Amino acid sequence: MSRFTRRVGKLLLLMLVWSIAASAVSGCWNRRELDTLGIQLGTAIDKVGNQYRVSVQVVIPSELSAKAGGGGRSPVAMYEATAPTVFEAFRKLTETSSRKIYSAHIRVLIIGESLAREGIANVLDLLSRNPEARTDFYLMIAHDAPANQILKILTSLEKIPAENLFYALDTSAKTWAPTTTVTIESLIEQLVTDGISPVLTGVRLEGKARQGENISNIQQADSRTRTRITGLAVFHSDKLIGWLNENYSKGYNYIMDNVTSTVGHQTCPDGGYIVMEVLRNKTKLIPKVVDGKPVIKVKMKQVASVADVECKIDLTKPETIKMLEENGKQRIRGVIQGAVEHVQKTYNSDIFGFGNTFHEYKPKQWEKWKDDWDELFPQVKLEYDIELQIPKVGTTNDAFQNYLKK
Amino acid sequence: MNASVDKRLDRKLMSNLSFIRASFGNSQDLVIKEMNNDNGLQAALVYMDGLTDSTVIHHVILDYFMSEEQTASRKSGNRLLYLKNAVLAVGETVTISEWDPLFYQLLSGWAVLLLADSPDAICVAAEGWKDRNVSEPTSQVVVRGPMEAFTENIATNRALIRRKIKDPQLWTEGMEIGKITKTSVSIMYLRNVADEKIVEEVRKRLGEINIDGILESGYIEELIQDTALTPFATIYNTERPDTIAAGLLEGRVAILVDGTPFVLLVPALFIQFFQSAEDYYQRADISTLLRILRFIAFMITLLAPSLYIAITTFHQEMLPTSLLINLAAQREGVPFPAFIEALAMELTFEILREAGVRMPKTVGQAVSIVGTLVIGQAAVDAGIVSAAMVIIVSITAISSFVIPATSMSISVRMIRFVLMGLAASFGLFGILLGYILLVLHLNSLQSFGIPYMQSFSPFIWSNQKDTLFRLPWTKMRTRAVATAEKNLVRQRPRNKQKI
Repeated sequence: MSRFTRRVGKLLLLMLVWSIAASAVSGCWNRRELDTLGIQLGTAIDKVGNQYRVSVQVVIPSELSAKAGGGGRSPVAMYEATAPTVFEAFRKLTETSSRKIYSAHIRVLIIGESLAREGIANVLDLLSRNPEARTDFYLMIAHDAPANQILKILTSLEKIPAENLFYALDTSAKTWAPTTTVTIESLIEQLVTDGISPVLTGVRLEGKARQGENISNIQQADSRTRTRITGLAVFHSDKLIGWLNENYSKGYNYIMDNVTSTVGHQTCPDGGYIVMEVLRNKTKLIPKVVDGKPVIKVKMKQVASVADVECKIDLTKPETIKMLEENGKQRIRGVIQGAVEHVQKTYNSDIFGFGNTFHEYKPKQWEKWKDDWDELFPQVKLEYDIELQIPKVGTTNDAFQNYLKK
Repeated sequence: MNASVDKRLDRKLMSNLSFIRASFGNSQDLVIKEMNNDNGLQAALVYMDGLTDSTVIHHVILDYFMSEEQTASRKSGNRLLYLKNAVLAVGETVTISEWDPLFYQLLSGWAVLLLADSPDAICVAAEGWKDRNVSEPTSQVVVRGPMEAFTENIATNRALIRRKIKDPQLWTEGMEIGKITKTSVSIMYLRNVADEKIVEEVRKRLGEINIDGILESGYIEELIQDTALTPFATIYNTERPDTIAAGLLEGRVAILVDGTPFVLLVPALFIQFFQSAEDYYQRADISTLLRILRFIAFMITLLAPSLYIAITTFHQEMLPTSLLINLAAQREGVPFPAFIEALAMELTFEILREAGVRMPKTVGQAVSIVGTLVIGQAAVDAGIVSAAMVIIVSITAISSFVIPATSMSISVRMIRFVLMGLAASFGLFGILLGYILLVLHLNSLQSFGIPYMQSFSPFIWSNQKDTLFRLPWTKMRTRAVATAEKNLVRQRPRNKQKI
């Protein structure tokens, strides 16, 4: 027993020595209380002349607390600094901010269009190197507006503009095909992978910028100034080269298998529209070599339902559903074909990752094509194998418009 | 006077009586009743007032006088024997000729009959004093199960156990511990189940105790535990006879101490402190869930404040964004670092708890009102502590009451503060460090030669039926390997009718 007691005594002594030693060598333990942090939720980076302008959006927690309610002040504060490098600009922020800017919880990073055209690699390096940042934020490109201006627009449903942008993109990517979410990890992966170029979602400003900064912007139900997530920015390497419109963006997302749910319409035989809701979608790209030329077979399985009938059509007949399925296939085909042809002709940037598909499934063939892929990409032909099922028509059968009283 | 004279009773009654008087310093509660009759035969009845049953005393005197005529003709030696065997038919009697045991019996509530011209005294069992009745347990309450608890009387306690285990193999050994208090202590075990080595170890450790007084089983617990250098109890204590009976059936050894309703049970394993008697009376599935719940509560009460400190001061990136903003909003304007805030709140709670235990019942309400108002409402409203911290401290406190054995929740209370300190200086790394040390320490503990963490480390598969889980009784056919080395089988498989 005494031997045992000695052992425990030794252990306690060891503990003591450890904790003393550890507290002596710990040095820069970054202990920080919550109330000493400026929690940064949004970042905007612009290029101004030769310098980077970094704007950060910091929450004012007391304005957001449930108890205090809005005191009529803005729930966020913006800090800006301009410096020759991004990191210097970040540190320079402390000149104006009373608290250390804590960047781990950043939700969105908005990159100015002019900066994106010059290349975003330098900016990304700093962010991917930062050990404290979470990597679940989204990147966006400010379309037709300075990036910092986008962040400044006050929003009402989400009190924090950065959160508003984050959730707006997150929700629309899930239910609306033309947008897509890109995190810094996937972006860097696409930048360094052969045979694929990245895209980023664009964000626009609607209304007068000055008005959006004012708290009065959120004091009315219909905010005068808002931000809109729209279109995709096409990159070649790390440089922005152009934009895709809504329809092309949809085609892009169909090919990339990003679509979980969306809505599209068809024209009825006798005029009017019938609207289909996509319930499930799965796309697979199968690379083929036909006559020594690259061919991509788009194999797609989609389940959709009828969401809205705005014409006279008899949904109770199986032939009608058959016809809708056929038309749907043609439409999807058209959307995809349009997007691919547009990108091939206008931008010649393999944002669909066709090259990467060859790399994965036909590595030997890819070795031969790798170096002149830029010339080969515009020649890629598409084959289609689209399967569309419409198993349900919603909670009614035939459209009541058919029985309207005259 | 020389020692040999001092030790034994004298032949002369008068000198014996004066020796007793002198020894007790004429204490008020010492009663000496001298009895003379026509033959001039003298006798004296000595007893302690308040420790004896008056009906027995009257019986002794009455019987003595009734039998006097027959007795008179006999010689002193035979007379004593005759009195003892034939007349004093009250129950237990012993003949004693030495002072020390005589005093012990006298002070245990026996009546001593001294006869003239006899060097021997007859001691008659006449204990009878005011005892608390067997009442409901107060520290280990169950919804379903026996509602009786041990009392301060060791004989009652032994009987309570005997009433549950009616088997001659339930052996009891008695001893007196404490040079002055001479407290009676019993060990009880099932001879055909308990490990003889453990029983022997208990005997040895109890025999080694050399102390002036034992007033509660806590004295014994500290004197015989394997090591004092641990916050954990390595001996189980309970006031529930059914828990002791269950322990005996598992091959453990019970130590009963006179004067306290808390009976000790050895060896004690870590897991035992999370098991409640009720686990065995309720359905197996709900018992298992409750046990898991207790472990969750154990973790909360051990770690909640330190995790809160570590995450909010070191690892803010681990929180979901909206939670972080919420917490930051609450902390806005709180003047203390999170650690000081937590420490102050924990201290306040500990003070309230201690006050709640000690204070007179009549002021209870006042204290609880002040407590809840000061801690909960006013402190948050004044912005001295954040509401989140109040929630953390409350859940910690409530969780600590879920652990069925108070000795374990006391240990956790102490360790919690150490972990909070580690969390405040090193964040999650500190907590991990403390946790590893805690696990190492737990694994180094033993209770009467049995590893404290037994069933988990060393891992014993067959014991898992009654550790974290409680299997239905039909599946628990054997006893735990740890304590019942021999006689493992508890249930024979029932004969299933083949169709």
